[in-house]
Amino acid sequence: MVNCVTAHSLEEALVLRKNHELIPYVGGTDLMIHADEKSKYLFLHKVPEMKQIVEDDDYIRFGASCTFTEIIEHSLSPKILKDACSQIGAPTIRNVGSIGGNIGNGSPKADSALICMVTDSKLRLANSAGERIIPIKDFYLGHKKLDLLPDELIVEILMPKNGLDNYYHKKVGARNALAISRVSFAGIMDIKENKVKNCATAYGAVSDVIIRVNSIDNMLIGKTIEEAKELKDAYLKAFDQAIVPIKGRVGIEYRKDVCMNLLRDFLEINGI
Amino acid sequence: MANEIKFILNGQEQVYDGNLAARLLDVLREKFNLTGTKSGCKEGECGACSVIIDGKLMNSCLIAMGRVDGSTILTIEGYSETERFLALSDAYESVSAVQCGFCTPGMILASESILSSNPHPSEEEVRIGISGNLCRCTGYNSIVKAIGIAAEKGSGLW
Amino acid sequence: MKPISKSIPKRDHLTKANGSAMYVCDYPTEDVLFGKLLRSGVPKANILNVKLPGLPEGYHYIDKNDVPGTNQVAIVLKDTPVFAESTVEHIGDPIGMIVGPNEHEVNRLLNETKIEYKELEPVFDVKKSDVVFFDYNYEKGDIEKAFIEADKIFEEEFETGLQEHMYLETNGLIADYSNGKIHIHGSIQCPYFVHDAVVHAMGIKHEDVSVAQDTMGGGFGGKEDHPSVMACQAAVAAYKLKKSVRIIYDRKEDVEATSKRHPSFCHYKVAVKDNHITGMQINVLYDAGAYTTLSPVVLQRGIIGACGIYNVPNLKVHGQARKTNTVPSGAFRGFGAPQTFFAVEMMMTHIAKDLGIDPVEFKLKHVSKQGELTSTSGKFHEPVPIPSMIDRVIKASDYYKKKEKYEKSTRLKSTHTKRYRRGIGLSAVYHGGGFTGNGERDLIKAVVKLKKDPIGNVEILTAITDMGQGINTVFAKIVSQELNLPIDRIIINYPDTSKVPNSGPTVASRSVMIVGELLRKAAAKLKEDWIDGREQIIEEHYKHPEFLIPFDLSTFYGDAYPSYSWAVNAVEVEIDTYTGCIDVIGAWGSFDVGTPIDENIVIGQMEGGFLQSIGYGMMEKMTAVNGRIRNNTFSDYIIPTAVDVPNMHVMLHVEDYSHGPYGAKGAGELPHVGGAPAVIDAIQNALGVTLNKTPFLAEDVMDVLRRQKSNG
Repeated sequence: MVNCVTAHSLEEALVLRKNHELIPYVGGTDLMIHADEKSKYLFLHKVPEMKQIVEDDDYIRFGASCTFTEIIEHSLSPKILKDACSQIGAPTIRNVGSIGGNIGNGSPKADSALICMVTDSKLRLANSAGERIIPIKDFYLGHKKLDLLPDELIVEILMPKNGLDNYYHKKVGARNALAISRVSFAGIMDIKENKVKNCATAYGAVSDVIIRVNSIDNMLIGKTIEEAKELKDAYLKAFDQAIVPIKGRVGIEYRKDVCMNLLRDFLEINGI
Repeated sequence: MANEIKFILNGQEQVYDGNLAARLLDVLREKFNLTGTKSGCKEGECGACSVIIDGKLMNSCLIAMGRVDGSTILTIEGYSETERFLALSDAYESVSAVQCGFCTPGMILASESILSSNPHPSEEEVRIGISGNLCRCTGYNSIVKAIGIAAEKGSGLW
Repeated sequence: MKPISKSIPKRDHLTKANGSAMYVCDYPTEDVLFGKLLRSGVPKANILNVKLPGLPEGYHYIDKNDVPGTNQVAIVLKDTPVFAESTVEHIGDPIGMIVGPNEHEVNRLLNETKIEYKELEPVFDVKKSDVVFFDYNYEKGDIEKAFIEADKIFEEEFETGLQEHMYLETNGLIADYSNGKIHIHGSIQCPYFVHDAVVHAMGIKHEDVSVAQDTMGGGFGGKEDHPSVMACQAAVAAYKLKKSVRIIYDRKEDVEATSKRHPSFCHYKVAVKDNHITGMQINVLYDAGAYTTLSPVVLQRGIIGACGIYNVPNLKVHGQARKTNTVPSGAFRGFGAPQTFFAVEMMMTHIAKDLGIDPVEFKLKHVSKQGELTSTSGKFHEPVPIPSMIDRVIKASDYYKKKEKYEKSTRLKSTHTKRYRRGIGLSAVYHGGGFTGNGERDLIKAVVKLKKDPIGNVEILTAITDMGQGINTVFAKIVSQELNLPIDRIIINYPDTSKVPNSGPTVASRSVMIVGELLRKAAAKLKEDWIDGREQIIEEHYKHPEFLIPFDLSTFYGDAYPSYSWAVNAVEVEIDTYTGCIDVIGAWGSFDVGTPIDENIVIGQMEGGFLQSIGYGMMEKMTAVNGRIRNNTFSDYIIPTAVDVPNMHVMLHVEDYSHGPYGAKGAGELPHVGGAPAVIDAIQNALGVTLNKTPFLAEDVMDVLRRQKSNG
């Protein structure tokens, strides 16, 4: 019988994951809130591939067990991600909590997941039979429902390298630190030669999953600023319909208003 | 598979063969009798249980024992034997920044964590550095001031 | 500043800083049983049956049948049961307790215990409650005449919410049993309250009980009445099992089961003639929760302060505390005053706004002066320093310049489209030191002792507890100064009722002013009678100052307090109109607590209390849904972190009290009275509206903005 185990390689981790009912443990900052001494954890902090931050031609690859502090301090991390990570919890949390755990937790309030969504990042998932790479958007199926097989692990997050410089991010919490998002918004606007090369928005902590509606954002892509301005009303209206908040610690109306205010501001700042 | 881990606790190597799912906080307090690490919420919010693991400030309530295999852990008991502690303690004392004291061990370790990575922090950096450590007594003014005094008077220590 | 004000190292500094101080949770548990309470899961019901799982050997269930004396916790009245009799009155009401050697096992057994109820109709809305626990009235002048002669009458209702203490250390204590005697120690704000409660519940002799305070991780009023309940429960179990029994709450249990600040509704009807207030008719309603606990005294303080610091010639005040089926409300720093002071401070700004008068000018025109009558026809015997304190705060905060600028921008449509709006607000309040009315003379009758050993060390013996506020350091300073002895010759320990006389509870901002003065007098006597090489004991008893107009509690007539401490607060906010978020960007306070016995300690009290009060204004929201406290964790009940507040500018004003030690007055509660009204005033200023509730959060801001938008 296996209790808690520490894996020292990805291969070992995947075999253990397959053969035993273990809870993947990366940072532990969510798991340990409801700590149960009977839990059987698979400790992943010593798996080298899950700890590194590297780049390839198209992506920056974040190992799932990288802590928020490691991401903030790493030169490869895009500013938008550093920005969001530095508003998570407090140093005590950022030094422990991991990006993989934040994503795997499945919460629509996950602050680093919001950035992965707006950047259309991909997840590298693996089990002992092999691996697959999926867009993070497809990973979230519903409230705390994930496209993750029982023997799979999130190994890496693949964040596009380019086009993230012009971003907008706002986390709304009940205080300035140690805050759980009540609404969060991230937007990316890549404008080249007066044309919208990319427009992406994501809305956290308003619904069961982080909202990312590419089809609406696509309305503006390929358009000139002037064209985008003309489409603005239709674009805003489409999001007004697409954002359907659920009630939480704050009300539906509040969440909706904040999302729309930030979205409008995001457009205005970009001249739209 | 030996269910045994090793770590360095306040400078001494320890072997632990208990439950690896147990909270570090409980093990520190109950097995090692290091009761300077306080339990305020057990959900990583208050910071009273802060310890320094491998140079980083962490909430010991949110750490399972399996996670500290091979780590170096510093609690207030170990830290209070250092010169840096004396500098911080003197600074806290000079502005009476200790009231009920329940947040203090964690707050002092948070101060160490700030100064060890940034020996001359701005007020804002100090405030961010202790933002995971709640204090209900002081309003933080005196603590922020104390860390500034320690940085100045303890120059060279960090 | 006087020499005594110069700060010295706090006595408890090092042991707290290096982690060696022993809080109750730090005591070894080898021979201790863990007690965990079985609590009601419903707000009101008859208990039909408690179905226990099989209890392993060494595990026990304790309930009302085990109480050897009376199944009552003596607080002010005795309606709080040690364990529920046949009904439960709120979620969390203790029914019984499982006790055993292993905490996990105790928790398991507790989770497997089933309670059968016959549920009864609960009352949650205090306005609909017909159980009036306390009802007080008082008046002066002729209110009817004031209304008849008024040019204008203003009416408004104000609402304040629950507030939770959130001391970092939860409630906890241990009851030891030995040879028929019970010793309690733990996180206890008022050892003699606990002592008397245990004697009553156990039906044993006074001398067979002792109660000691351990190092405490904060109190703020939250450990004033509740430890009496826990101590009775632990004592019953310890007595029955003849073992030590420990009860320490986890955070959720502490938040759900212990007292909070009373939610309130305050209705004001104000007569104005020639731009001057001539009368106020005030109805105060406090939600007491399920049992009376400290509500009578909280309500008394609330209604006495209902007209604030203002001279209102015609005044009629009616106050009630009613029952609801929620966790009992109790003591919290300010003790009933923050609610009514919030209401009256907002009322003053609203009337001023309507009359087109600057609110600070309007307040200054009405501030009571030395020699004038208080609300209860007592007298402000000493100078009222409010005008000069206001002056100082206005200068420090640049109040008028900011106010004008922010006001203008709220009035201009063009700036309405701007994302951020700023506002600045100001409040002026007092807090009366010591027990209300003749409490000190008739109820408390404080006694202190000084014990000199043959070597010449002097031990201070009082029942006052140092919960972190620094009273042990302050007392040592007073005695050292009076005796002209080095401070290290003064001994002071946490109190144990078997060793210290009853100098009353550590409440009501009375410790320095009342007990400190007794110590000063005792020290003066000792100095006079000092004989080298001999043990000497000096005892000092409280004497009511003769200058006071006797207070009659049935009519609320006379001097409610011997002296008043004063505060002026200004707060500046910035509001993000896209998110509603309110950021405090400036906070100033001038506080008069008489001579500070230790400057650092007093400043620390002012800063800490000010921030709690700011939190009460714009952050700390607690909701009970169908009697269940929803915000039961640190992540859900939001208190400020270090990045939620700027450096607060605290200034001390000194107006000495003739009967306080070296001129010292009450200090601890004062800073928690004026923060919230200053914050809400600042929000009003930023949004260009009048507001009447606290706390006021981002969502409330967005509601206002939505209304403003729809009104064009």
